[in-house]
Amino acid sequence: MIEVKNLTKVYGSIVALDNVSFNVRKGEILGFLGPNGAGKTTAMNIITGYLPSTSGTVLVQGHDIMEEPKEVKRLIGYLPEQPPLYTDMTVREYLNFICDLKGVELRKRKSQLDDIMYLVKIGDMRKRLIKNLSKGYRQRVGLAQALVGDPPVLILDEPTVGLDPKQIIEIRKLIMALGRDHTVILSTHILSEVSAVCSDVIIINKGKIAAAGSVSNFSATIGSSNKFMVHIIGPKNDILKRINGINNIKYVDFLRVDGDVNMFLVESKADIRRELLNEMSKANYPIIELRPVGKTIEDIFLDVVSKDAHVREEK
Amino acid sequence: MITIYKREVAAFFRSPIAYSVIGFFMVLTGLFFWINNIIIGSTEFSETLSTISLFLIFLAPVITMKLLADEKRNGTEVLLRTSPITVPQIIVGKYLAALTVFSVMIVLSFIYPMIISILGDIPVAMTIGGYIGFFVMGASFLAVGLFTSSLTENQIVAAVSGIVILLCMWFLQSIGASIGGTIGDIFRWVSLLTRYNDFAYGAFSFASLFYYISFTLVMLFVTGMNYERKRWS
Repeated sequence: MIEVKNLTKVYGSIVALDNVSFNVRKGEILGFLGPNGAGKTTAMNIITGYLPSTSGTVLVQGHDIMEEPKEVKRLIGYLPEQPPLYTDMTVREYLNFICDLKGVELRKRKSQLDDIMYLVKIGDMRKRLIKNLSKGYRQRVGLAQALVGDPPVLILDEPTVGLDPKQIIEIRKLIMALGRDHTVILSTHILSEVSAVCSDVIIINKGKIAAAGSVSNFSATIGSSNKFMVHIIGPKNDILKRINGINNIKYVDFLRVDGDVNMFLVESKADIRRELLNEMSKANYPIIELRPVGKTIEDIFLDVVSKDAHVREEK
Repeated sequence: MITIYKREVAAFFRSPIAYSVIGFFMVLTGLFFWINNIIIGSTEFSETLSTISLFLIFLAPVITMKLLADEKRNGTEVLLRTSPITVPQIIVGKYLAALTVFSVMIVLSFIYPMIISILGDIPVAMTIGGYIGFFVMGASFLAVGLFTSSLTENQIVAAVSGIVILLCMWFLQSIGASIGGTIGDIFRWVSLLTRYNDFAYGAFSFASLFYYISFTLVMLFVTGMNYERKRWS
């Protein structure tokens, strides 16, 4: 659906994107993950035809953005970071303008706009001036704008920024629903968003792809960790001694004490939960909480980003 | 193009800019009509237009200031550039919207020649010629204004630089007159305002008409180039 090959973008002496290549299959929801200034927006601006690339190609359904910009632009609905709204118009007028701009046929227009306004829940706001809308509603109008003309590809730049938690959940649900019949690229620096919404993820840092793969693959790495948080009632030193006596233990850290409950962080080479329980019950120290501390996408992300920084420092 | 045009015309009449510019223009024409045509008793309205043309230097860039500058600041430029429309469609659509506001001003001012024709004999051909000249001159001013609007994100900067360019055009006339010789002639040839005098004094000049129209087209072309250039920088 979308093929990005060796994309490079240089602003003066700053390399915003450095030889980035990836493919997005039809029906995929791809998450672009990266810290601020990583090049997420630049990549999206190039794919949508807002900016020209320094080198490299972008093909959307086989059309090159540089050679056939009109065709590609018809295929893409884009919600930039700042929703492109004319605040002096009402929601209805604005969406009608977008229909004109994208050349939506007059007879299809009413039903399509009604559908979209129902989908993003702005039907009640249709007669309001956009300048009087809250941030959350503006974001939705921006999303509605991207949906006009029913483009097969949606590109959403930080679609949940500035929304309240309830709205975030709603927008995520909406994106997931849209993902069934659209190809979606969304950028975010919120990691839980990627695991909640996306099927695939690309971690981008300093203009380069640092890691890529399906979210389920990343989740597999998460499950395999043998790190636990354990809360035990009993004398701290004795507990530490007993835990250290268990086979395969890598290390144990005392974290803090809360009343008579001591909290420890334990990491081992194999699963030691059974031995730990046996050991503590022998000494009559009740375990009141035992919780795996998995590697989250967050850890992977931080790993990738900081590893990259180390490599750079060494150079 | 029609899409952009429709939106911009609607935006003009939703904002106070169009009303205040038109209102100011009507006050000025009323004032100079009163002085030139009522007190002095001249029936030539094209002379009145000639006086007003100086104020057009200030009004035209105010009409056009927000057209391109505002898009950038609002983030709506992304929308236009990622929609299936071309740069010429954007530029021409916006320009025609500004021209429409200017045309409204002109049409409203028809009331004064009508009053003259009731009270006395108006030189019809000269007045029409004067209006045509006034229209094409205003059109070229608007093109300058649209160009300066493409240079910046700030409406005020756009308006002020437009006014400065047009004032320079005006000064070229007086500089040209005082220098004299070939260089002076060139200055006066280039000046947008000198050429209006042909129309004001009843000599309908195709050369000047052609000059205004080609100046406008070149200005629009440069604006389009500049708009496209910004994408690449």
